[in-house]
Amino acid sequence: MRQFDQQRWLRKKWETLSEIPLRAHYGPEDIPAEHLARLASPPGQAPFLRGAYPEGFRSKPWRIFQLSGFGKPEDENERIKFLLAHGETGFLMEHDRNTADHLFNVDHPEVQARSADVGLTGAVMQSVRDIAICLDGIPIESTYGHAGGAVVQHAPFALAGYWTVAKRRGLDLTRLAGTGQSDYFLTYLGCVTKQQVPTRAGLRLNVDIMEFCNRHLPKWVPISIAGYNGADTGLNAYQELGSVFANAVEYLDEVQRRGSMEMEAAAKAVGGMNFRCCMDIFEEASKLRAARAMWHQLLTQRYGIRNEKVMNLRIHVVTAGSSMAYQQPLNNIARGTLMGLAAVLGGAQSLGVSGYDEALSVPSEHAHQMSVRIQQILQNETNVCGVVDPLGGSYYVEALTADLIGKGWEFFEEIQQRGGFLECLDNGWLHAKAHQNQNADMDAQASGERTIVGVTDFVEDDAPFEVDGFMGVDDSYQVAIERLEELRRTRDAQAAGIALKQVHAACKGSDNVMPAMMAALEADVSLGEIGDVFREVFGDWDTPITA
Amino acid sequence: MNEQRRILLAKTGLDGHWRGPSVVAKALRDGGFEVIMIGMTTVDEIVQAALDEDVDLVGLSIGGHVEVAERAVLALREAGIERPVFAGGVVPPWARKRLEAQGVEVYPPGSQLPDIVAAARRLTGLSAAQ
Repeated sequence: MRQFDQQRWLRKKWETLSEIPLRAHYGPEDIPAEHLARLASPPGQAPFLRGAYPEGFRSKPWRIFQLSGFGKPEDENERIKFLLAHGETGFLMEHDRNTADHLFNVDHPEVQARSADVGLTGAVMQSVRDIAICLDGIPIESTYGHAGGAVVQHAPFALAGYWTVAKRRGLDLTRLAGTGQSDYFLTYLGCVTKQQVPTRAGLRLNVDIMEFCNRHLPKWVPISIAGYNGADTGLNAYQELGSVFANAVEYLDEVQRRGSMEMEAAAKAVGGMNFRCCMDIFEEASKLRAARAMWHQLLTQRYGIRNEKVMNLRIHVVTAGSSMAYQQPLNNIARGTLMGLAAVLGGAQSLGVSGYDEALSVPSEHAHQMSVRIQQILQNETNVCGVVDPLGGSYYVEALTADLIGKGWEFFEEIQQRGGFLECLDNGWLHAKAHQNQNADMDAQASGERTIVGVTDFVEDDAPFEVDGFMGVDDSYQVAIERLEELRRTRDAQAAGIALKQVHAACKGSDNVMPAMMAALEADVSLGEIGDVFREVFGDWDTPITA
Repeated sequence: MNEQRRILLAKTGLDGHWRGPSVVAKALRDGGFEVIMIGMTTVDEIVQAALDEDVDLVGLSIGGHVEVAERAVLALREAGIERPVFAGGVVPPWARKRLEAQGVEVYPPGSQLPDIVAAARRLTGLSAAQ
């Protein structure tokens, strides 16, 4: 068992988690000249290094936005209401991984073989009826919602379901605010499902969603590139930056190729992104500052966009799940607070703090409430909201930010030279990069170079405060089976059949798939039926990894 | 006995997060084991692979409910496979107790790779040191 060791401390190699070497102190000579030019603009002005908005959190505190979901749609509904009642200011719907990620109905043999897993990490939502139960009594016209659809092939279904519920409530879709995710990092890098549409087909679906929102839901953030999922798979801070923008250019180039929407609108649509903040507070805060400046640079230089109003990157942060320890889990309350602080210092617009039981299970009610309370404490007790970009001008932070921008672009260029982001997912190059870092992290822990309190050092055999892990509910599968049977029995079979054929035709052709998807959800078409169409038309992604 | 020991690594659930099993697989390979990774597989597929590959040890990566892993262990035993089983992943304390009662060694998040490799050596009848 390792304890504090003076000799080990004195031999410690000081560097960031991305292995950028650190000096003991920094001075004005460490800030490159081109970076001083970025620093000269105040917050809310290009290149937005110092913040997306001039008044920062004074004009709008960050959104308290927690991942939530498990069990049956009514269990998830209850948890969302609980979080909103305790001060969450947006809500996020998780769908059951087994069914949603794979577009399987619950009676699919792959799901049936693991029926106990169903509902463990999100509610089963196989039709618009289930989504309506999950959203029951939640004022989506005034509360910012995340419809789910984190995995690319699931997003059209999840979004169409949410919007159909909104339409049925008589809401004006042009005024509906919210987001989905449809993220490549989760789908093709971090959480590689057993079956998935190929990356090219995914690109088509995502750009269809962007176009559809541009036409019908201008306040909706259609997709959210989630560097989080790349970073928590192993990419370091500047690799996260480089690959996020390599992902963005795939979308923007496709929009340009199609010529079906203005590039300014496309920039706005892609400019709501998701990053991870882990325990290296200054590197992570610097990363968010770097991200804003890089986004501005990309839009102006590559796409010639001039309108400043569409170039301020809005950032959602989730604190690193992988930094949360299984051992002595209450220590994670401190970790969540510190990682959340990094996001706030970096100027994030919304934040989710991982539960203290993250390494054990989906959050218990108490862990979830704690994540909200941590954010409320940051917002209300610490005075961090009073001044925009409080780290701006720090010799260290500016030198680090400039360094991350430089290294981020190098990584971006390397991806371009290797054929682009999609190619680097298809051929496993990004997976290999992540894997390298995963191994290096484990080696550093084992060798004593990296200390994780309660895990590698300061270990206790008997934790005095036991946390047992949330157990969820045990009737998710059975209820989902019953509801699927009821759906098939009570829907207008002919209307569902026609709607499904239209989805098939749209997928086969080049029309935007979203109008047909909306009609399909309206006609009670089920998740698995959409999946069967996608599998038939688009085929299966040939994954570069087996794990 | 100097022949290389063979370990089967399988994911019991449909959750595709691969970070855990991939670092474990690399450490085991570096430790001299042959590792057969079969990814997301059902209980029946795990049993079949354990038979086909004649492995010395079965590793289960659990991203879902413990019940599925418990069924896998039972099915292995019913098929006459008495090889040891160890497991990793998101296994909360209550689930860990259930697996340990079945004779499964559990390595939750935070477990260090040298400890996992040492366990694999012990469970396959090798001496502790490499």
